[in-house]
Amino acid sequence: MAGFIFKRLLQAVFVVLAVTLIVSFAIRLSGDPAIMLMGGGNVTEQDLQNIRQSLGLERPFYVQYLSFLEGMVTGDFGKSFMGGTPVSMLIANALPATLLLAFASLLASIVLSVPLGVYAAVNRGRWPDQMIRILSLVGLSFPNFWLAIMMVLLFSIVLGLLPPSGMEGPESFVMPALTMAIILTATNVRLVRTSMLETLSQQYIMVARSKGLRDRVVLYKHALRNSAIPLVTYIGLQFGGLIGGIVIVERVFNWPGMGTLAFDAISNRDYPVLQGTITVLALFIVLINLLVDIAYGLIDPRIRTE
Amino acid sequence: MKFSTTMKVLGLTAAVALAPVMVSGAQAAGTLTTAVAIDPGSWDPIDTFLVNWSSAANNLFDGLTARGADMKLRPGLATSWEFLDNNSRIRFKLRQNVKFHNGEPFNAAAVKFTFDRLLGDEGRKGPQQSNYNTIDRVEVIDDNTVDFIMKQPDPVLLTKLAGYGGMIVPPKYIQEKGDAHFNLNPVGTGPFKFVEYSPKVSLTLEAFPEHWGGAPKLDKVVTRFISEANTQVAELQAGRIDVATLIPFGLAPTVEKSPNLSLISITGPTVVALRLNTRDGITKDVNVRKALIMGIDREAIIKAVLLGHGKPIASFQSDLSFGYDPSLKPLPFDLAKAKQMLQQAKVPAGAPVRIDFRGNDATFREVAQAAAGFLQALGLKPSLQPHEPPVLLNDIIPNGKTGEAWHNAWGGWTFDYDNTAYLMYHSGEKWNPYDNDPKLNALLEKQRTMYDVKEREKVLQEIARYVADQALEIPLYNQNTIFGVNKRVKNFDAPADSRFRFTETTVE
Repeated sequence: MAGFIFKRLLQAVFVVLAVTLIVSFAIRLSGDPAIMLMGGGNVTEQDLQNIRQSLGLERPFYVQYLSFLEGMVTGDFGKSFMGGTPVSMLIANALPATLLLAFASLLASIVLSVPLGVYAAVNRGRWPDQMIRILSLVGLSFPNFWLAIMMVLLFSIVLGLLPPSGMEGPESFVMPALTMAIILTATNVRLVRTSMLETLSQQYIMVARSKGLRDRVVLYKHALRNSAIPLVTYIGLQFGGLIGGIVIVERVFNWPGMGTLAFDAISNRDYPVLQGTITVLALFIVLINLLVDIAYGLIDPRIRTE
Repeated sequence: MKFSTTMKVLGLTAAVALAPVMVSGAQAAGTLTTAVAIDPGSWDPIDTFLVNWSSAANNLFDGLTARGADMKLRPGLATSWEFLDNNSRIRFKLRQNVKFHNGEPFNAAAVKFTFDRLLGDEGRKGPQQSNYNTIDRVEVIDDNTVDFIMKQPDPVLLTKLAGYGGMIVPPKYIQEKGDAHFNLNPVGTGPFKFVEYSPKVSLTLEAFPEHWGGAPKLDKVVTRFISEANTQVAELQAGRIDVATLIPFGLAPTVEKSPNLSLISITGPTVVALRLNTRDGITKDVNVRKALIMGIDREAIIKAVLLGHGKPIASFQSDLSFGYDPSLKPLPFDLAKAKQMLQQAKVPAGAPVRIDFRGNDATFREVAQAAAGFLQALGLKPSLQPHEPPVLLNDIIPNGKTGEAWHNAWGGWTFDYDNTAYLMYHSGEKWNPYDNDPKLNALLEKQRTMYDVKEREKVLQEIARYVADQALEIPLYNQNTIFGVNKRVKNFDAPADSRFRFTETTVE
């Protein structure tokens, strides 16, 4: 197990290096942060030179990249080009917001998809199953920004129940988390359904039924537990994708998270902020995938021994 | 039975989700909340050029001069000024008994510190220094008098002292706490003082009752950063912000129709034109350029795309701008005449006209499409080329890689045609990749040495007329500045430059 983890950690380092290298290189292909900073107003080439020098942009790319790596190792993420706020402070503010939203989305998705999936499996082929399958297809096809705007219209403006944007109290989580959750739920429902159907055809379920256990006990105690393994794995993997997909939802709901940070950094050509944000996100996704691998081994001993 | 179990689970989920939901739509009494698109990241006056900075920070800081919502210049931290030594020295008498929010006194030393910092190494790292480099240095005459020694004349200086880099900062505070601390914890002499800054979320200010202009009537001003226009409008409709600054034309009717909101649409600084390529293509010929202007119905574009929130222009400035000439009229829309002119210039049917524009500007995309429609009606072959703004501004335009026409949008807060015209038309400037006209250069240079207001205005008007004669651009429109305001806000004087000052404003 230790060797396995070590190998995966080594892989993780390479993944993060590759991601930061590509991102650092790509953002430098277009646009000049000095011009973004000066706003294209009353500036001479000399002014731009001064700015580039103060930002350290006149150095060759490999020097800039190495000094960024050096900063990563020592925990110094540098300062934002816009106003000089330390990048670590920006990330420290934004990361919890994104993680909380991601967790809330996952939770909402589980709470929605498990009962629906089970219900569909139990009623296999009958109209509730068809309805749930059609609905999940519809959910899967929604563009989430459209869904977000419609929800704001209904819950914030017409009903006045929820705040349209920002992260304030628990109520501000409802719409952004639901927007993300509906997309996830669409796939999860199908997963739960298939997994349940397979379990329900097992002999031990028949045994459980024949010894006179109540339906609910059979379903939720015996069947669901055994169908949970693929679900847990899949949800873990989803978490990484979730963080990536959160950018649009964060923007619509003005959520002060990593997506907003990265989005603004790209538009402003704010290299330090973008590099810092992407590095942290990449680390997280790699780490979660690693945890999923480990968890998988823990849940199913057969995998550990292989 | 199974069905009811599921329903129970679902019902419980819904209940849990909606339980904590009790949103108070109403705002705290005495607190005014605005929303701007961009968080400037630093509140130091020398670090930014963003209008969004000024919308908040104009309440925090004062300049030596001030400009109100009427766009008229008046005394600020200086009570009077006079021009000495053949205009090379400007003497300011300073307001007495003024204190910074931290208790530090405002005096001649603070003015000198502010400008030493702006014109020195610290200022070199930011975008503001270049706006003030006509100033050589500031000399302290006595505690309440300073002299500005000029390197070269600057007729726009008094206006520039009313904002941005000219805002006066506290010397002792910055020297003790350092620049990085000042960025995030600003101190000024303005009517509101700093309480809290949460990056990407909001800036909170509270009333500074000892302000020299009298205590503000509000307790607090909160500025939230919301970059998505739809979200700003939703927040406005939900009653959670009082003033929204990002209202696209398409959403203006929504705000107008809401019973608790009012739409303020006023003449603003932003002008939009299609600059023409005078080096290559059919636009080399001045008569073709004029034909293109006459072939595009600008009034129709304003009505259809801007929903009327704008007006036609004859030169690249708004009517608030110094140098505006009401007698200069735009060329009329006349399709038949335009076609005839193209024929006379022997422009072949289907000649290409490429329009390069900022791809993120949704409004202009529609404008460009409309313009392309008119060009097509002239028998030309228009094409639209969107670019990412940094690429367009940094590469395509300065390196002369544009098509026949490109998107020019401009809005200087000083409302002086000089700042626009010099950068647009003087040879060697990055906004002017194709022309080198000695006559135009001479006019542009001449007005920069003139302090006689009337004479300088005449020269600026001559420049505008000359540019229109040469048809260097298709002047499209001056678009309005639009605010959405909650009706509970009273005494809100909407400034054309979006630099709010909430001293007299109240909320119900």
